[in-house]
Amino acid sequence: MQCEEVRPRLEAYIDGELGETERVSLRDHLAGCADCSPEAATLQRLRDEIRQAAPTYRAPEALRARIRFALRREGVAGAPSGLRASGWLAYAASLLLAVAVGSGGTFLVLGERQQGTVAAEVLDSHLRSLLGTHLTDVASSDQHTVRPWFAGRSDVSPPAVDLGAEGFPLVGGRLDLVAGKPVPALVYKRRQHIINLFVLPASRGGHGAVLSRQGYSLRHWDEGDLAFWAVTDAAPAELVEFEHAFRAGTGS
Amino acid sequence: MAWIAERRRRSRFETVVLSHLDAGYALARWLTRNDADAADVVQEACLRAFRYFDSYREGDAKSWLLKIVRRTCYDWMERNRPADLVPLEPETHTEGSPHAPAAAVLDADALLQNRSDLRRLDQLIEELPPPLREVIVLRELHELDYRQIAEVTGVPIGTVMSRLHRARSALRRAWEGKECR
Repeated sequence: MQCEEVRPRLEAYIDGELGETERVSLRDHLAGCADCSPEAATLQRLRDEIRQAAPTYRAPEALRARIRFALRREGVAGAPSGLRASGWLAYAASLLLAVAVGSGGTFLVLGERQQGTVAAEVLDSHLRSLLGTHLTDVASSDQHTVRPWFAGRSDVSPPAVDLGAEGFPLVGGRLDLVAGKPVPALVYKRRQHIINLFVLPASRGGHGAVLSRQGYSLRHWDEGDLAFWAVTDAAPAELVEFEHAFRAGTGS
Repeated sequence: MAWIAERRRRSRFETVVLSHLDAGYALARWLTRNDADAADVVQEACLRAFRYFDSYREGDAKSWLLKIVRRTCYDWMERNRPADLVPLEPETHTEGSPHAPAAAVLDADALLQNRSDLRRLDQLIEELPPPLREVIVLRELHELDYRQIAEVTGVPIGTVMSRLHRARSALRRAWEGKECR
């Protein structure tokens, strides 16, 4: 190969795009040519510099969550028209239906329509808390800090209790909105997962089952005059464990 | 049940396509040159991809997603930053000779030389016109081969080669200019 044939192929050579025969003859030429080999070296160095200088961009976690969330709504929009209703209500319906159909042995009481709405709102609040910077208003693992913070801010006083010993450390609390009303949310961690525990005035029906859909689990139980809704992206079994730990921790 | 099918479809989409989300985001970030815009574009692109998912057949999911992200970026720039989309002057794409005429490298070259304040290679890449910027990003950072780049950008392989050459020549001149200082 002559220099005139080599030069137009140098970049393809460095890009690994030449066929075997061409590659070998080009390599042999470079080994013996004092003009072409520095040129090849410069191109190689430019590539290395580009790769070194260029920042590695990664999709932020919040974007990932946003997309999963949007896909879910997309699925609803493309659903059979009977379920197309409006946004969240349709989503709640899909959630309950999916559990009823998908979980085989699980017996699920499809409570009042309202139950589905609360489940949807609670999941919505959970996702919002993960997307934004507003996970906690009061960040503390001390129940004597978290509980009083809610006094005067909401109608219910959430029994905040640190469950760090059981593997569910209390991270803090925040005031969230569920069905347009301010509602205390206690924030716990399970390893890398966040558990949001929403505390509402008691309701009836639909408890006991873990609803799960596309990686999110919900669990609902009543205690006295309070209703608890726990949401997480951890495994459903962890929510059952969480409920036991919480009930034990709050002495009920 | 339609719902079960829908769930399966979404979960397959998340496995097959969303595993390349970082690559999609990086391309959008290089094209829009802004974190928030890149995020918006990528979200829109993923929804588009999900809608077209039935048209995706087994194969190169990364290129497939990048193609949609790129298309969405250009649509977005047309709406929001039309000034960024200066058309390239006519280009040669002869398979055997990727070298464009000397005049053809001048635009990108002049563009970079005028920004003597920008001397870091990553900044120089950002200053390249989008058609040249994207081939450099796809080749050097995403490590796609010519065939994949042609697929993603929708141009013949010869054009990919000539654009790569022009982009490198421009970067190299600016970069060597820096080294001579």
